[in-house]
Amino acid sequence: MNCLLPSLAALVVLCAAPAGAQYPTSPPPPGPLRPLQFPPFREARFANGLEMVLVENHELPIVSVALAMPAGARHEPAGREGLAGLVAELLTKGTRTRTADQIAAEIEGVGGSLSAGAGDDFFSLSVTVLTDHLDLGLGLMSDVLLNATFPEDEVELARKRVLSTLQLEKSDPNALAGKFFAQALYGDHPYGRSASDSSIRALTRAEIQQFAATWLKPRGALLVIAGDLSLSDARRHIERYLGGWTGASPVAGAVASPPAAGATRILLVHRPGSAQSNIVVGNLALAAGDPLHYPATVGNKILGGGADSRLFAILREQKSWTYGASSGLSRRRDTGHFSAGTEVRTAVTDSALTELLVQLRRMRTEPVADSELVAAKGYLVGSFPLSIETPQQVAGQVSTVKLLGLPDDYLRTYRNRLAAVTAADVMAAARRVIRPDSAVIVLVGDGLGVYDKLTQIAPVRMVDTDGKPLAPEDLAPKATGPVAFDRAQLVSRRDSFQVSVQGNVFGHMTADLAVSADSAVYTEETVIAAAGFRQRTVVRLDPGTFATRTVDQTGSGAGQALEIHLVYRNGRVNGRAQTPVPGAAGPKVTDVDTALAQGTIDINAFQPLVAALPLAEGASIAVAAFEASENVTRTLTAKVSAPQDVTVPAGTFSAFRVETAGGAQPFVFYVGRDTPRRLLKIEIVGQPLAFELVK
Amino acid sequence: MRSLAVVSALLSGPIAAQTGVQYQVDSLPNGLRVILSEDHSTPVVSVDVWYHVGSRNEQAGRSGFAHLFEHMMFQGSRHVGKGQHFQLVERAGGDLNGTTNEDHTAYYQELPANRLNLGLWLEADRLRSLAITVENFENQRQAVKEERRLRVDNQPYAPALTEGITLLYDSTTCFGYAHSVIGSMADLDSAKVSDVQAFFDLYYAPNNATLAVVGDFDPAEAKQLIRQYFGDLPRGREPAPVSCGYDFAVGARRRVWEDEHANLPAVIIAYRTPAHEDPDTPALALLGTILGGGESSRLNRGLVRQARTALAAGSQSASRLGPGFFAVFAVANQGTGPDTLERQLSAEVKGIIEEGVSAEELSKARNDFRAANIFGRQTTMQVAERLQHYAHLHDSLEDMRTDLDRYLAVTAEGIRRVAGKYLVPDNSFTIVVVPKEGR
Repeated sequence: MNCLLPSLAALVVLCAAPAGAQYPTSPPPPGPLRPLQFPPFREARFANGLEMVLVENHELPIVSVALAMPAGARHEPAGREGLAGLVAELLTKGTRTRTADQIAAEIEGVGGSLSAGAGDDFFSLSVTVLTDHLDLGLGLMSDVLLNATFPEDEVELARKRVLSTLQLEKSDPNALAGKFFAQALYGDHPYGRSASDSSIRALTRAEIQQFAATWLKPRGALLVIAGDLSLSDARRHIERYLGGWTGASPVAGAVASPPAAGATRILLVHRPGSAQSNIVVGNLALAAGDPLHYPATVGNKILGGGADSRLFAILREQKSWTYGASSGLSRRRDTGHFSAGTEVRTAVTDSALTELLVQLRRMRTEPVADSELVAAKGYLVGSFPLSIETPQQVAGQVSTVKLLGLPDDYLRTYRNRLAAVTAADVMAAARRVIRPDSAVIVLVGDGLGVYDKLTQIAPVRMVDTDGKPLAPEDLAPKATGPVAFDRAQLVSRRDSFQVSVQGNVFGHMTADLAVSADSAVYTEETVIAAAGFRQRTVVRLDPGTFATRTVDQTGSGAGQALEIHLVYRNGRVNGRAQTPVPGAAGPKVTDVDTALAQGTIDINAFQPLVAALPLAEGASIAVAAFEASENVTRTLTAKVSAPQDVTVPAGTFSAFRVETAGGAQPFVFYVGRDTPRRLLKIEIVGQPLAFELVK
Repeated sequence: MRSLAVVSALLSGPIAAQTGVQYQVDSLPNGLRVILSEDHSTPVVSVDVWYHVGSRNEQAGRSGFAHLFEHMMFQGSRHVGKGQHFQLVERAGGDLNGTTNEDHTAYYQELPANRLNLGLWLEADRLRSLAITVENFENQRQAVKEERRLRVDNQPYAPALTEGITLLYDSTTCFGYAHSVIGSMADLDSAKVSDVQAFFDLYYAPNNATLAVVGDFDPAEAKQLIRQYFGDLPRGREPAPVSCGYDFAVGARRRVWEDEHANLPAVIIAYRTPAHEDPDTPALALLGTILGGGESSRLNRGLVRQARTALAAGSQSASRLGPGFFAVFAVANQGTGPDTLERQLSAEVKGIIEEGVSAEELSKARNDFRAANIFGRQTTMQVAERLQHYAHLHDSLEDMRTDLDRYLAVTAEGIRRVAGKYLVPDNSFTIVVVPKEGR
């Protein structure tokens, strides 16, 4: 047996046993599979128009009852968003004979659950109990459905909680992304509207009662029962508990159409201090019954349906940008939508969005590979047994089919229709369903870190978490003048660092700070022999304010010479920067003569001064730093997180972790907490390179 | 054979419900424990491996390793390329994932019944020859850092909760339970491939694992496959036991977190509780249901419905190999400050200590456990996880037969007693989360 284990001890432990000749060296083949049909279910209709589906299964003494009525956001008048949700919340909060507390005590007293909810299109009321308590469960369900009273003080309590919830959601990046995406995609159509402070405050008890009285009716409703109940018993129980439920709801009125798709643009929701950007890209897609749904489903699986998909493989497993990336098709009766999304660290936001768009376009222009087609169908068709393991799962599938208005044979023919999809079908469906060039892109993140780069991808409109417009100028941290450096942290010292990749030392850096009453000179020398890199930097600072006075830098890299000489005086910087350009014929030369805002330091002065910043847990410090090679002033933002123990060759220390962004590369500096603070370690984000203090 | 299977499937339901989960155990000479439980009602099978290693086994400076390692286990092995593990399972119609907590690391897949061999083989291949490379390691280190950002750093309340709960225990005497499973960014940054290799060598050995197979399979065939795939793996050395020194009533502690992402204040009061094996565990569990379970719970009725100071209030607890915690929490409605929440949470807890619980509350808690016992048997994966719980946290799998009775035997007095023993200020750590100034 070959062992890919470097340590000798491990070699002995794990390779001692002889390799079994029987151990398969490739995945073992599938065993025989007997054909499996969709489980049988029974249907019945009652005099009041209620339709029932029963999935009978006596393996466990559980009965789940789920009632769905066409009553959701779609049925809310404009300006009353959240009404359906409040009706659902209040339905179980009091009837003619029971208080809210009594209802809760009764159902929870037997270990069961009773809940109501409202979505975009449907209102649901569900109860789940052990068989022994079926009468109790159905009795409660019937009582709340027929006799809810919506008491005034319960209405006020619910209103208060929803308002608090809305405020909570404004800090939840996922909730923000979902809300703004729906709004951008669907506009004034009910799917795009959501509860707001004003709509929740405007709702009255009378409107809540009216909504329930109008829309919660048996004609058009679907009751799905799964579990330990026979058809005759089910009929008997429903006649008894819901026989007295009568009426039909009116036909729902017309609703505003979603906006026509325009050229792709980005809505950036500025959430200060975000460690990640939540990205969602999407467009309107198919109506529920569209036969393109089959090839679209196969295509979606390949693109972003799980760990074995392109988006996951590229954005996470290859690029290391995220914990997860996926895509999906949302199915509604009339108009559904396609979306793809991920959460990535702020620094790679623009790269991730660009790559995401590349992958969306690829689905439209390149046929998928045979292996991907086989894999996608393997899952979509092959996972069938997993999807029917419990009667509740079976019931859920039947319910979805009926509520979406899909044909009766849908479930029976589903797997065959998927299996017949070809690569050409997938591409044709992608052209209808995936439209990156007329898409809505919503991005929730720290505008300060991402705004500029996003404008290179598509036009950007920025708002705050309340939806109010923001301009780029509004993002800049409030300048309160130049940063005051803490002199006590800057003492004469000489520190040596090793430059390592994965624990392997490739070079060295020495940092020498010489401070006296009338001078402050920082000298830094770095050598990384294997990369042909040498650099010596001398920065003279004002001994009082530590403002930059001169910078002199020499060295070589990529076979070219580096030479920078700058003088900072009277609010200006003058000099010349010659910097290597890998792959080019020669270095770049930049002549520098620029006015600077007060407090601007040279980018090379940041490293010796980071220990003297006002470091405190949670602090976010902005420092203007001039970078001569690009002839620009950058705003470096240093974010300080909680002290942590850091181990470097020089020892283990309690240190501040300072994440610095805004420069050409994001860095992490670890600065020891004890005065005078020492720089312990420097990392370049996303690279395995580190500088670690040796002594 | 088919008609016999049909008949047995028809009968097994009601009988199974009364007699509980049926299983048989097996073990290999190399120490691998095997639990097999048949259920022929649907042609699916769950393959669930628990390794007896979690964040409790980590050392200072190396937090987050067990979870980082869980990620590494999906990166390929001698006969499985990077990304192929996900591909092979999904293509076969299966679902898969892994989880890590303080006590164990679990890897599971649910597959169509005719792919049992694939599930077992994949688990065997990564146990015998996981491909630990610098590239894979760098990639998954970044993925875990993004996971931390996703679940903790970029969420309101999460940093305070994650760190606060770990402050219940002293990191010098019980590091295992005094740090978070996800680990600190600094430790994740300083992890090296050689550390990961050493972790694998020590903890990923057949004698440190339990394999549960639940569903529609033939036990004789399963045993044969398990021997074929896992049999020749040598036993590893026994990892050192984890030591955890702790005291209960060390004095009330409190910490305030300013959270730049929290819009409303929140308060969590956490209390130390004993290890799962302690006889007080069932009473603490029923106390949790009464204090914080559902709309009829004390906390919901007291803070959300009556005082109207909390948007939400409840309880959460963890019962582990080492010491655990029991926490009560509340998130404020607009206009309520954290001091009010703290006062009211303490008052509800004190109410139980001083006046006990009612007969209705006791009945509710018992019925909740009775029902949960049945709801928790609906899928093969649920059954596998239940078997693993007993294999890892109990001395004997047979406890599964009698455990429910232990919970149903808890009395009102027993609940009051454990409340008075553990839910006291001297044994508490209060976490107060406030929105950052200037928001």
